[in-house]
Amino acid sequence: MNNVLALAGIVIKEMYRRKDFYVLFVMTALISLVLGSVRFFNDEQIVRFLKDICLHLIWLSTLVIAITTSARQIPAERESRTIFPLLAKPVSRWELIAGKFFGCWLACGIALFVFYSFFALLSASHEHTWPHLVFYQALWLHWVLLAVVVGMGLLGSVVLAAPSSTTTISFIAVLGILFAGGHLNGVAANMRGISAGLVYGVYYCIPHLEWYHDARELAIHGWGGIPWLYVAGATLYGALYTGFLLGLTWLLFRRKTLML
Amino acid sequence: MIKLLLTLAFVGCVTLVTLLDPPLTATREKSGEGATVLAMLVGDGRRMFANQFFAKADEYFHSGFYPTIFDEQKKDDDVTGAEAKAGGDKGGKHEEEETFLGQPRDWVERFGRHFFPTVHTHLENGNQREILPWLRLAAEMDPHQVQTYLTASFWLRSALNQPKEAEEFLREGLRANPDSFDILIELGYVYDFNKNDPRSARRLWELALQKWKRQEAAGLKPSPKAQVEILDGFVRADKQQNDLPQLLTDLEALKEVSPGKEAIEKDIEETRAEMVAPGAGKK
Repeated sequence: MNNVLALAGIVIKEMYRRKDFYVLFVMTALISLVLGSVRFFNDEQIVRFLKDICLHLIWLSTLVIAITTSARQIPAERESRTIFPLLAKPVSRWELIAGKFFGCWLACGIALFVFYSFFALLSASHEHTWPHLVFYQALWLHWVLLAVVVGMGLLGSVVLAAPSSTTTISFIAVLGILFAGGHLNGVAANMRGISAGLVYGVYYCIPHLEWYHDARELAIHGWGGIPWLYVAGATLYGALYTGFLLGLTWLLFRRKTLML
Repeated sequence: MIKLLLTLAFVGCVTLVTLLDPPLTATREKSGEGATVLAMLVGDGRRMFANQFFAKADEYFHSGFYPTIFDEQKKDDDVTGAEAKAGGDKGGKHEEEETFLGQPRDWVERFGRHFFPTVHTHLENGNQREILPWLRLAAEMDPHQVQTYLTASFWLRSALNQPKEAEEFLREGLRANPDSFDILIELGYVYDFNKNDPRSARRLWELALQKWKRQEAAGLKPSPKAQVEILDGFVRADKQQNDLPQLLTDLEALKEVSPGKEAIEKDIEETRAEMVAPGAGKK
């Protein structure tokens, strides 16, 4: 466990030493503040538009952080050959995967906390109320989603040759699931034969990230909170899927030749 | 030699710009397409964005309860205020009706429905203001989409009590669409309902009727409903000004085109009775 925590600590340090997070945060803050200063029809109480844009930027930024951070972990260790002394410590390959995962996930959590704090301040300054329960639920579900995304990034980094291809494919997969993942059953219902079965198969196999993303709408439009049972269910589903992805990553990484 | 060619190419470019820019600018100004930052960035594709932004306003009006491109579309554009005009306030929930969601097909869909809005509501209590940024952007993207101006004005003058902003936005729309009788009708409502100025409202509706008739003469088939709205506006203005002879004339004209002939006939009889009564009518 100590090895896992030590590895996770290194990943977190790496995040705050790199400029990615700062650039994304400053851009998000700048765009949101500029939009927040715009008055539509001299009405100062308009806020949902601003919350929508700000949350979109936060989602985009955190996906960039999660995917790029997780995609480069193992390839960077191999390229700099630091993976050999690391595994000779002794750190098992499973501990390496777990350490990298927790590091990336906690780093995403820190980034999320900063982003959502800014979001809460921005919306509170316009709405003159602190965010409701659904805001915290949206934040939590966002973090659970990032666990799955980090798992996908780590798996991609073991399967694919370069971090750039892992990043690109992960982005396409995540955005594709967010856009159409939840509607594949509807598509399959209008098909027949093997193709319908295949689409249904894909529908059940992909991680349903759209659940976590949809909660954003509830936060923007000020709906009531999600029943805790469903939040717990989504958390369990996210944890199981992340466990599956990490297990698969470990299986592939265990047999992988590390020589360049 | 190369330097000479480069210099010639540069001089050629500058000459072409000075030749081509004035006619292009004139064409743009003539078509009422101001060179806003958004227009310059997105080009002609902005009309597509305008439709998207208008749909976004409708989505906001339903607080996020809105079909995606994958859902069965039962388009009613509630945001246009048509329902509110016809049947009074329809704010609040009406969850009993069947929605585009239908029954969930499987456990994934059933579970997922707890994470997004699944109740059909309309914004109320002044929260209608939340749709305005999208309507503003839609107008920036496509200044020729008249419905955008009408929708924004309807909410500004009714639920939000901002007639000044409604008038400014409508006048902006009128500059981009000088032949639109719909905008003039709506502008008349601002003067009639909010500014309590039936005389100015009537003048605007007269102008609207002129434009409507011009379009009809040109074979453009303008909406008959608009003509009814204009004549209905005349009648309301006449009643407010207590101008009985004009009211009678306008009621007769309205009877010709309105579907509710019986009610108008009754109005005509009442007006005639009032006219023969001693001391009635101002003219």
